[in-house]
Amino acid sequence: MNTNSNAYTVIYTTLVVVVVAAVLAFTAMKLKPSQSANAKAETLRQMMSAAGIKTTDELYATKNADVLQLYAENIEQAYTIGLDGKENGTLSTDLKNIELVDNLKPQNKAIKDSAEVTLPVYIFKSGVAVMPIYGAGLWGPIWGYIAFQPDCRTIAGAYFDHESETPGLGAKIKDEAWFREKFIGKTVEWGDAPAFLLAKNAEATGAENAVDAISGATMTSKGLNEALNVWFKAYENHFGIGALLSALSEGETDTTDLNEEEE
Amino acid sequence: MDKKLKETILNPILKGNPITVLILGICSSLAVTVQLKGALVMALSVIAVTGLSSLVCSLLRNSIPNRVRIIVQLVVVAMMVILVDQILKAGEGTYAIDKQLSVYIGLIITNCIVMGRIEAFALGNKPIPSLLDGLANGVGYGLILVIVAFFRELLGSGTLFGLQVLPAGYVPNNLVILPPFALILLGCIIWAHRAWDKDLQEK
Repeated sequence: MNTNSNAYTVIYTTLVVVVVAAVLAFTAMKLKPSQSANAKAETLRQMMSAAGIKTTDELYATKNADVLQLYAENIEQAYTIGLDGKENGTLSTDLKNIELVDNLKPQNKAIKDSAEVTLPVYIFKSGVAVMPIYGAGLWGPIWGYIAFQPDCRTIAGAYFDHESETPGLGAKIKDEAWFREKFIGKTVEWGDAPAFLLAKNAEATGAENAVDAISGATMTSKGLNEALNVWFKAYENHFGIGALLSALSEGETDTTDLNEEEE
Repeated sequence: MDKKLKETILNPILKGNPITVLILGICSSLAVTVQLKGALVMALSVIAVTGLSSLVCSLLRNSIPNRVRIIVQLVVVAMMVILVDQILKAGEGTYAIDKQLSVYIGLIITNCIVMGRIEAFALGNKPIPSLLDGLANGVGYGLILVIVAFFRELLGSGTLFGLQVLPAGYVPNNLVILPPFALILLGCIIWAHRAWDKDLQEK
């Protein structure tokens, strides 16, 4: 058989491509469920690390199934909001059907275009509320989760991850526990610009809503600062009002105290 | 025949090592050697890809039209790489490592060792020797990867496989974590290899 004829070449290459495509399609289909399960467990680990359910190391040593269990046990409710801060959907927290908004890239684009968004809010039984952030680092996307105390202002914890930041420099946002611990106890100034500041010597000003950037990782720090502020802005109508209400209710208790004293 | 087979297996690991002698696959050996775990998974992935691609191409060697043989090889290699990547993503224990290796698993396609061995060996040899040749070249590559990663993780993070080895007071050397140090280390390994095996020294 002449293996160099045109007809043979065309038929041969077509056959090879069809066979390869079939093999790949079949494996992709077969492996899809376990891949999504891994991705979901990963998101839950990062969220629960921010919410302080367990430490990051403990969560990464926990099996996928136990991570789901842990989430189902600790979550109070999960829902999505629009840019107006109003609830526009609920996310199931049932162990058998945990729903998450873990594809943040399209949401990030929608925020910037002021388009329709479904931004997730996860409220844990401890009262902590978790929101995601997403943005661009130096080499690729960076994202993370910020947990708020019930007052909707004070940061209870944070977790950051990245696709391909420089090891030893930008990768510190994920690798170094001290970096995310710096966020704990800081407050977000809803309605202010910037709502939060991550910059050189930012802590020196004594501001409550500032954290020092990582030296040697200027672009990653800038990217994280941008991601934080873009997403805080998007959640402003939700948490900002929450913070106001919680401040008001504190005020109310104060006045009742006063009334009692007067009586 | 037996001697030839032994040669097929041992040559790529020592005298014809893809990295230190043929200077192939340098790019990925600089990128994925920050941690031993990642380097080991990368090494195993490359071993699987080189072995299986060589096997498949050797099985097809008499039927491949000569004019499009590189394209057919590329399709086979790309398939193997995607399979490895998908399997790593699906495994519960390997998911995090796959994420850490990010694009470098996909970039095995461009690793010259894979295509080089298919062109140089698999197209002219029977399937079993081709499989062994592919596997052995992967091992030769992986061996250097693991050696480089051993030093980089030890000196750059003070750990091995993520476990603290050096005393807690050790200040990690940031240079070691950056790719240039891998190149320096690689140079030292090539130097040591040539000093040990006099046949490799150019006259």
